[in-house]
Amino acid sequence: MLHMIEMIGVSKVYPGGCIALKDINVKIEKGEFVFLVGPTGAGKSTFLKLIFREELPTRGQIFIGGKNITRLKPKEVPYLRRKLGVVFQDFRLLPQKTVYENVAFAMEVVEASPREIKKRVPKILEMVGLSHKMNARPHELSGGEQQRVALARALVNNPDVVIADEPTGNLDPDTSWEIMELFNEINKNGTTLIVATHAKELVDAMRKRVLQLENGRLVRDEERGVYRGET
Amino acid sequence: MKLRTIRYFFKEAFVNLFRNGWMSLASIGAVASALIIFGSFLIISINFDYIAKNVESQVEITAYLEDSVNQLVLNQVEYKIKSIDGVKEVVFVSKEQALEEFKKQVGEELLEGIENPLPHSFRIKVETPQEVAAVAEKIQQIPGVEEVKYGKGVVEKLFKITHWVRLVGFAIMVIFAIISIFIISNTIRITVFARRREINIMKYIGATDWFVRWPFLIEGMLLGFTGSLIAIVLLTVGYNYLYEMVKLNIPIISLLPIEEFYDYSLGLLTIGTFLGAFGSGFSIKKFLRV
Ligand SMILES: Nc1ncnc2c1ncn2[C@@H]1O[C@H](COP(=O)(O)OP(=O)(O)OP(=O)(O)O)[C@@H](O)[C@H]1O
Ligand SMILES: [Mg+2]
Repeated sequence: MLHMIEMIGVSKVYPGGCIALKDINVKIEKGEFVFLVGPTGAGKSTFLKLIFREELPTRGQIFIGGKNITRLKPKEVPYLRRKLGVVFQDFRLLPQKTVYENVAFAMEVVEASPREIKKRVPKILEMVGLSHKMNARPHELSGGEQQRVALARALVNNPDVVIADEPTGNLDPDTSWEIMELFNEINKNGTTLIVATHAKELVDAMRKRVLQLENGRLVRDEERGVYRGET
Repeated sequence: MKLRTIRYFFKEAFVNLFRNGWMSLASIGAVASALIIFGSFLIISINFDYIAKNVESQVEITAYLEDSVNQLVLNQVEYKIKSIDGVKEVVFVSKEQALEEFKKQVGEELLEGIENPLPHSFRIKVETPQEVAAVAEKIQQIPGVEEVKYGKGVVEKLFKITHWVRLVGFAIMVIFAIISIFIISNTIRITVFARRREINIMKYIGATDWFVRWPFLIEGMLLGFTGSLIAIVLLTVGYNYLYEMVKLNIPIISLLPIEEFYDYSLGLLTIGTFLGAFGSGFSIKKFLRV
């Protein structure tokens, strides 16, 4: 059976010698909702970067949908990334484009038709609750709203997997909850989700699969887990 | 590639061009000044070339024949001259024709009643002006030829000068072409650098390299095209002025006609556009490696 994501003996050593990940073996199935937890510097961001090939592993193999992405030619990388929706911690929105344009942009990049774009973008913005801010620019939005735009952009092309790095990092608890609700909804529609987070309450409440990293090692992999495994 | 994608590329290029207002103006200015300098040297160089060719083509050999030659010897001499390698054209000038010409130069009355003292001669043009000396040498050997004249010394000196003018003109042109590329790629690098975040984001949401590259290439080409257009207009106006000035004040020098300069303008426009594309492609390269 093909796993959505499979890592085999993956290690990452950054130039300069910092060992960010050590011998990671993990399988994530289609439709799973996975939390990635661990103290700062544990390697969570690195784990995610390896998946959408911002970084290459130093050792080991990574398969996505059965395809070995460590062997991709530079020309094939864009097509891998189109299967993934990434929500960055710093949002990475285009400041001079409006909310609508930022989301539409992701569709233009993959050469979707204008008709599709006109149909799909408002729908996605409604889903994340931003219909009324369609023409605002990122700097006119709150952190939570920018996070929603980033999420809308990640979702607009119907990716197989959504990856989010600390999506609630600087949001208040209520807004964080709303974002998590959204994730849950997306997941119910069959999208695989991987969320790196420090938000203990959310992880404890959601009871999803938890991967815990420490010093670059995978120390815990638990179905319906909590933030700390000890208690 | 889909049509709407091409439209998107042009839209992006134009939007960015205007959004970067001052930066775009700076780039256009850089292209224009580089090409004006480059074009000025081009004009100087092609004119030196033109003048040199003009002077060279006027160099001819005159072979004076011995007084005693009869028609038979005359025919033999003509045949022998024509069979020398590098001879392009041979014209026979009889005693009588020579006298007529001479009369025209000095006036009829002066020569009234004097027996014709001028010899028969041949005027010879050669294939390449550099061969003049060698050909003259060979003609001198032909029996029946008394004397050969071709502006010895002067011709050699002229060739030396035109040779160096060409060489120096060419070197200066190459140097300024390199400087132009450098200025353009640097200015476009600034524009690309200002948008490195945007490029980065595009790549992370799955844009191909060419999708990212095209709007920048088009933008670069538009900058190069506009810059070279400005340069051409200024150069044409300037050259027109220079042409008229020289024609009026130094009539013996004839510059390259302005119409022929238009061909070079088209070349400059192509070069400018190409430099723009080259410069932006060059600058964007390292930002695509993500
Ligand atoms: N580009 C890089 N070059 C060198 N070292 C790096 C680089 N990126 C990360 N590291 C190092 O790798 C280790 C893991 O970093 P990573 O960003 O994956 O941690 P993290 O779990 O995401 O931490 P946080 O919770 O603070 O975001 C850290 O020690 C970090 O200093
Ligand atoms: Mg991190």
